[in-house]
Amino acid sequence: MSHYDATHHTRGTSRYVGDLPEPEGLCHAAIVPSPLAHGKLVRLDSAAALALPEVIAVITAGDIPGENQIGPLIQDEELLASETVHFSGQPLAIVVAETPELARRAAGMIRPEIVLLPIITDPREAFDRGEIIGATRQFVLGNVESAWAACDVVVEGRCDIGGQEHVYLETQGARALPGEGDAIKLYSSTQSPYVVQRSVAKVLGVPYHLIEVDVKRIGGGFGGKEDQATPWACLAALACRLTGRPVELILSRHDDLLMTGKRHAYSSDFKIGLDKTGKILAYAVRHYQNAGASADLSPAILERTLFHSTNAYYIPNVHIFAASCRTNIPPATAFRGFGGPQGMFVIESAIAKAAEALGIPREEIQRRNLIREGQEFPYGQQAERARAEATWEKADALYDLAAIHRKIEQYNRDHYETKKGLAVMPICFGISFTATFMNQGSALVHIYTDGSVSISTGAVEMGQGISSKLANITARTLGIGESRIKVESTNTTRIANMSPSAASATTDLCGGAAIRACEEILARLRRLAARELQLGDETAITIENEQVRYQGQATGWSWRKLVETAYFSRISLSAHAFYATPNIYFDKQKEKGRPFNYHVYGTAILEATVDCLRGTYDIDAVKIVHDLGRPLNAVVDLGQIEGGLAQGLGWMTVEDLQFDHTGKLLAGALANYKLPEVYFMPEDLQVNFLENDDNPNAPYGSKAVGEPPLLYGLGVFFALRNAARAFRPGKTLSFHAPMTPERLLLELYGDQMPPDERQSAEGNGKTRQPFPDTSTKEKA
Amino acid sequence: MENAPLFSVKVTVNGQLFEREVEPRLLLSDFLRHELALTGTHVGCEHGVCGACTVLLNGEAVRSCLIFAVQAHGQEIVTVEGLTPDGGREALHPLQEAFREAHGLQCGFCTPGILMTLIPFLQEHPQPSEGEIREALSGNLCRCTGYHNIVKAVQLAAETLRHG
Ligand code: FES
Ligand code: FES
Repeated sequence: MSHYDATHHTRGTSRYVGDLPEPEGLCHAAIVPSPLAHGKLVRLDSAAALALPEVIAVITAGDIPGENQIGPLIQDEELLASETVHFSGQPLAIVVAETPELARRAAGMIRPEIVLLPIITDPREAFDRGEIIGATRQFVLGNVESAWAACDVVVEGRCDIGGQEHVYLETQGARALPGEGDAIKLYSSTQSPYVVQRSVAKVLGVPYHLIEVDVKRIGGGFGGKEDQATPWACLAALACRLTGRPVELILSRHDDLLMTGKRHAYSSDFKIGLDKTGKILAYAVRHYQNAGASADLSPAILERTLFHSTNAYYIPNVHIFAASCRTNIPPATAFRGFGGPQGMFVIESAIAKAAEALGIPREEIQRRNLIREGQEFPYGQQAERARAEATWEKADALYDLAAIHRKIEQYNRDHYETKKGLAVMPICFGISFTATFMNQGSALVHIYTDGSVSISTGAVEMGQGISSKLANITARTLGIGESRIKVESTNTTRIANMSPSAASATTDLCGGAAIRACEEILARLRRLAARELQLGDETAITIENEQVRYQGQATGWSWRKLVETAYFSRISLSAHAFYATPNIYFDKQKEKGRPFNYHVYGTAILEATVDCLRGTYDIDAVKIVHDLGRPLNAVVDLGQIEGGLAQGLGWMTVEDLQFDHTGKLLAGALANYKLPEVYFMPEDLQVNFLENDDNPNAPYGSKAVGEPPLLYGLGVFFALRNAARAFRPGKTLSFHAPMTPERLLLELYGDQMPPDERQSAEGNGKTRQPFPDTSTKEKA
Repeated sequence: MENAPLFSVKVTVNGQLFEREVEPRLLLSDFLRHELALTGTHVGCEHGVCGACTVLLNGEAVRSCLIFAVQAHGQEIVTVEGLTPDGGREALHPLQEAFREAHGLQCGFCTPGILMTLIPFLQEHPQPSEGEIREALSGNLCRCTGYHNIVKAVQLAAETLRHG
């Protein structure tokens, strides 16, 4: 089963926003960004730009007919800065011109006058100054304070986790076309057509129904187009409204890097207590999320950090604290994993440090504490069909952990300057939007009289293969061939109020709705067939391979005949259906509930070789056992696993996203931001599924696959760290990701640098006592 | 800002001769996309890093975002649209077929550039080793797939091309 779009993709005939045929009079917009990260905007002189003959308009905050506000959760984000700028790259104005080149040139001629205000880039500093977005959150299970005393070993530590640039290969963009009156049609490269629709309506001050958003596909999203596709669509629509002409706004790669938010950097403190057998008795953690200049989706992302702070482990006493901290970098946003990976990195670091204190391998602690059936997560949900142990055991059986251990030890004995490291990475990821209301999906199915089928849902195809899955689900439910199914673009006039394609939940929600829509039509068709063919029991009528059967026997009616008969009998061949995930809820007052429909589990074994003189490394092998339920399309799912893994590995190693202390991004082009390329990926990549484990909570026993595989990538950090430890066993190593080759050298030799250089290289992490009330004991 | 003088460009693209008056700074990628409406050539980075804009210039893979349209004057270009010129609905080039079969694509944005990089490579390396394949692909970025299936697709394509 190939990708639904494979033919068009390979022919170059797939259309993305910038590929749509150009309408008459199309003009182009470019953005004037703030050059400073924080300041008062005193003047914006656009005279020079406006004097150019082919410049059509310069648009600023004052020109916005509706509300100058696009914050999705909290109303703290202006579309165009009016008085204060909060990050470098923030849009101040747009220029509309006859060509994109001209618009960009003219935008460069507009010089804003800004009076600088103090700039904060560090989340801990923001926290100390009270720059906190929304409420701080705490999840509590048991009582850590009384548990520390019972522990044989208690260790504390700090993690610093870098952000990550999405690098969807198609940059952000939208095209707005004027309709009749105030109506506007938008083509937008977004994961959230409905968010675009309602934001544009708000900015223009018109009812939602005047704004139509259509998305055929997008060239990658990874969360970066969940909320942050909105401003560009709003700006294109605004320009369209004010000029009366079709307007295209496609960000250059430079502007995209500069202006859009990334994965959140976190800084966290942990404290973990265990008995001497390696059982974790207590875990406390404080997360400081670097949210950037406005809320965006940060509070929701913070929530997932809380949910996943204990990864796949059961810990009886837990205290998780988390704060979203406002800083002067672009608003950080959704990125595959949505805050979960950061929470999991910290517990994995805590386990690593505890293992060192206890003098046992990290895997022993991991294995011992995997969550089992019925055990409770810190948010009150109990593990159901817990497969943490099952995936671990299958991985061990398939790949032989002990043998890998022996091989690596032997290698490390035989080699001096290169060392190998191993890490196991169990994962557990909750499936559902954590905002319960978002767990809804719709589908609209039309059957035409020739038997062909059209399906529309709220799902956006971004490469993840949702179209393939929807075609599969629809064909399977109707009992007909996939070639009869056309998956339509995602359009707000066909599907209203859709949730974004995110949270790995799109197949569950939209696929669930598709099944219902098909079943509704099938019920009508069965009734018809029972009447026309005089069959007593309509429930015994099935359609298999496009043939109508009764009690398993052929009736002589084909799919085509059935559909035609329905049409002439005046029976509706269309249905719109709705699916809402049952039995999920969360009480934010108590911070307890059952937020997830189910969990996805898995275990990966990662091996790496480090050149300890140069800091360079190879990821030798990644071997995975993944819990996928009963895959709808194993080929597509495998692609998601490998692609997600690549992003996780990249985040932990070569993708070094940095802002300087003035809030300036240090990678303004793809040439200065390293992405995994074809050499980077391990040559030995093995993925096995945990077989025959149906998931009753998603279409045809399947499981969500989008985000969880990224989490395996975290393991590489610990594999590299273990290799470094093999080289310098006594050296204290930090938990500072990504582990770039440079960072690795610093870890190995930082203590041999002169003190002042060491300080600037290691950052000025102010020493603080995160858990001041109790003492730390390290006895091992 | 003066409008730059226009230059006349004559170029053969996918076997067809085109003649246009263009600004000297117009990139070949923009020329193909906007002047000729050949939008299969994608632009991912605009400065030679990602390989999404790769086309053939006199049979050699080049990055069309690093070449001016005027430099292509009198030369021969093949874009992804030229791989299956007759456009029969199912008639894909074996390389295209292999990417479909091996699921060597997801969002598809990198795909045309990767295919065009591989066309001359496979002509020169009918029996490529995995190392050679990786080297050939080392200048193309894909953010979706993790490359594994892309490498498999190339192996598959090489085999089909060899055995026809
Ligand atoms: S667009 Fe030409 S190499 Fe990236
Ligand atoms: S398939 Fe999306 S970038 Fe390669």
